[in-house]
Amino acid sequence: MNEFVGRALLRREDAHLLRGEARFIDDVPEPDGTLHLGFVLSPHAHARILEVDTAAAAALPGIQAVLTGADIAAHVQPIVAEVEIEGYRRHGRDVVARDLVRFVGEAVAVVVAEDPYVAQDAIELVEVSYEPLAASIDMEATTAADAPRVHEAVPGNLVFEGRFATEGFDEAFAAAPHVLKERFKSGRVGGVPLEPRGCLAVPEPGGALTFYTSTQIPHMLRTAVAKYIGCPESRLRVVVPEVGGGFGTKAQIYPEEFVTAALARHFRRPVKWIQDRREELITDIHSRDHIYEVEVAFDGEGLVQALRSRVRTNAGAYSTLPFGCTLETTGGARMIVGPYRITNYAYVAQAVVTHTGPVGAYRGVAQPSCYMAIEGMMDRIARHLDIDPAEVRLRNMVPTAELPWTNVVGVRYDTGSYQESLRAAMEAIDYEGFRAGQPADRLVDGKYRGIGICSFTEVSGTGAPGWRARGLVRLPGFDTGLVRVEPSGEVTAFVSHAHAGQGHYTTFAQVVADALGVDFADVTIIEGDTAAVPYGTGTFASRSAVTGGGALIRAATKVRDKMRRIAAHILEAAVEDVVFEAGRAHVAGVEGHGVDMRRIAETAYAMNELTLPEGEDFGLEETDFYDPPLVTMANASHIARVAVDAEDGRVEIEAYAVVHDCGRLINPMIVDGQIHGGVAQGIGEALMEEFVYDDEGQIQNATLLDYLLPTAEDIPDITLGHIESPTIDAVGGFKGVGEGGVIGAVPAVLNAVGDALSGLGIEIATKPLRPSLLAGEIRKVRDGSAS
Amino acid sequence: MSMVRVKADDRHRVSLTVNGRRRTGHAEPRMQLCDFLRHELGLPGTHVGCEHGVCGACTVLIDGRAQRSCTQFALQAEGTEITTVEGLAEGETLNRLQAAFRDHHALQCGFCTAGILMSATHFLREVPAPSEAEVRDMLSGHICRCTGYDSIVRAILSVAGEGGT
Repeated sequence: MNEFVGRALLRREDAHLLRGEARFIDDVPEPDGTLHLGFVLSPHAHARILEVDTAAAAALPGIQAVLTGADIAAHVQPIVAEVEIEGYRRHGRDVVARDLVRFVGEAVAVVVAEDPYVAQDAIELVEVSYEPLAASIDMEATTAADAPRVHEAVPGNLVFEGRFATEGFDEAFAAAPHVLKERFKSGRVGGVPLEPRGCLAVPEPGGALTFYTSTQIPHMLRTAVAKYIGCPESRLRVVVPEVGGGFGTKAQIYPEEFVTAALARHFRRPVKWIQDRREELITDIHSRDHIYEVEVAFDGEGLVQALRSRVRTNAGAYSTLPFGCTLETTGGARMIVGPYRITNYAYVAQAVVTHTGPVGAYRGVAQPSCYMAIEGMMDRIARHLDIDPAEVRLRNMVPTAELPWTNVVGVRYDTGSYQESLRAAMEAIDYEGFRAGQPADRLVDGKYRGIGICSFTEVSGTGAPGWRARGLVRLPGFDTGLVRVEPSGEVTAFVSHAHAGQGHYTTFAQVVADALGVDFADVTIIEGDTAAVPYGTGTFASRSAVTGGGALIRAATKVRDKMRRIAAHILEAAVEDVVFEAGRAHVAGVEGHGVDMRRIAETAYAMNELTLPEGEDFGLEETDFYDPPLVTMANASHIARVAVDAEDGRVEIEAYAVVHDCGRLINPMIVDGQIHGGVAQGIGEALMEEFVYDDEGQIQNATLLDYLLPTAEDIPDITLGHIESPTIDAVGGFKGVGEGGVIGAVPAVLNAVGDALSGLGIEIATKPLRPSLLAGEIRKVRDGSAS
Repeated sequence: MSMVRVKADDRHRVSLTVNGRRRTGHAEPRMQLCDFLRHELGLPGTHVGCEHGVCGACTVLIDGRAQRSCTQFALQAEGTEITTVEGLAEGETLNRLQAAFRDHHALQCGFCTAGILMSATHFLREVPAPSEAEVRDMLSGHICRCTGYDSIVRAILSVAGEGGT
């Protein structure tokens, strides 16, 4: 039955958000006597801490304590990202630095105050003496023999190296008639959720701790915090309030969370920490900062014969919890093959450490960057052979008729619509019409106008095998659903996810209502509280619909089966003759001979005169788990049309089309919202967003005035279409959609600019494409041709 | 108007009208208006996104005009009339602008929403029948990291020219 899944139902979460009644982390009521933390941050990228003088700060009225790294070490063990993959070098991190600081923004002391304003005063009074040391900032130079070392445990600053080559690769590469080579540089960006992070730890009677925190991964966070602060996991309850945007930035376990939880136990008082925007920009994980050196060998028809890549990602100063620092590296190297039939492939994938902020998983992870590379190469092949870029892609894509298909690194694509989505996107934006009117110099009405494509596969719903393949043996993969019919006949469903704007209370209720055969209005979803919800992996990497949806369907199916058994007993019918639908059980073909859900529930809870079938347990709830296969592969095609101003280098996006395939749609309105928002982030990443460090590791743009985010004036209308190719490998038919918007937008915009400037011979291989960069490139060509 | 002399470490009485009610609270001279509204008056619906006047999340109406509450002090609000997001709905009923946001999926995480609602409320009073370009220009004073803005533009346009919010 499919009554609610597939409908654009309005969101249940909206009314309280719109009325200002939602409670985000800084809105959770503070118990009396709450202490407020402030962190003293390093102004140096690399320095030895000589002395931390806390006297003046400690003397300030309203200060409870000022703690150094050594003090904190008594309460929090050094954290270690436990990636188990060949070529990875493990290293630890003091949550507050003791001897060395390794990036600008690393915490060196903690002030504990009665009031958050006083905490800020105290930060100013902590005197730290440093011996500044030479720093490794550049991600290429960091592996030079004489580069300053970031960690003793990481010789040569190479924290991971992995290699892969298919059999006979060199021969296949050598046999191809054409080879093109390019070096792509993907600038460093951040998720920059509008709500900064924060947490509140409240001691409970008996040594327990309730820990409110702005996270996407409540259960994994609980396990890690318990382990590193030495609190029994059973005494630690993690509660997630409303989260004001996550995007992967909050799928991390950060030093401040360990410190806040530990100090609440130490002082036996509630302890709160709320981040400010500068801290968010310099201490939250950054993302991207990749280099791809790609060589593609192809035949005269544009068919790729072999692909070689050298991928280097900048891990920053530390490998972080829970993903470590190899997710970007292995992701970039493995996902680059996309929807294309590439059978000869070799890579060298390296992660390096530098004296810059830690890098982690932001929406899309490696995919916006690796598709920047492969989609950039598709355009270069097209230009080289004078074939249309869309045609080159169509020729190289795995046709739907050949699915399921296993790609060169062993990932199975069960269903999809690679060529269909590209053709549909071309139609939506009138690709042929635009090409027909496009002059060779691309100059139309004084601007360079071009069109760019990104066709991609989108990794979603990764299960345990997928994480194991990338060395993350401590990342579970499964999620859990608990579906309960209450004595009243209403349904409460618990799921091990944590939303940050995705609308889970609505979409999961749609899934449960259909799986159980009840009304959407009767289903309430609960998540984000480890005391209520069974263990699971959490919300990141486009996984909730797949893993949470699958788990809820499995649990609901068990409950439905139990309701049928109880109903059969009440109706004195055979179980196989009883159907359950629309909240009522009846004998098949005899609608009048039935029993409603409330009466079934009362029976299950022994609250009426009826009895349960022999051997049936009391209650009406079931828990089930879902660990999907390796990955669940969605796909899409994005096409952008741009105009580049020849004088000031500004890029205007004049039209934008997306055709996306995330399998079965749960709620089309919410899916569209995910894509729109992702595209906006991708446009920001392509054209304006970048964290800039100077040679000494000082971050140059740690305010929102300088780190530019796209506004309503930067984002075009988006024409959006869907193809539904339900997955056959995962329960429910759903594929993830959270990251596709940003993955497609970055390469599509870059390729459109590349097309616009192709008449000038300018190749686009970097991002962001700031106006100054493009204006400079255009000027160089024009000056060159004039002289 | 004479300069009010205040001492840095004293808490001062601030009396003002918030959402139609007379309210009095206490604030140190350096307390930001957003913190005063949220923590002193117990109205956490106004959100603080950047504390430097860029993101727009903390926007409230002060004497009818949309203003950032993170870049002014509580003491400056003495005697003013302020409307926050908590003052928009009429009882249990969302007002037309709020309902339009729900109907157009113009919010995801909802953190930026309060500020945008307040700016749009002021804007639609000043420009009752705006063009899309005018709406986008007004919205460019706000950052939304989730929606991509299109749905917000549609929501605001849907109530424009129909007798206000």
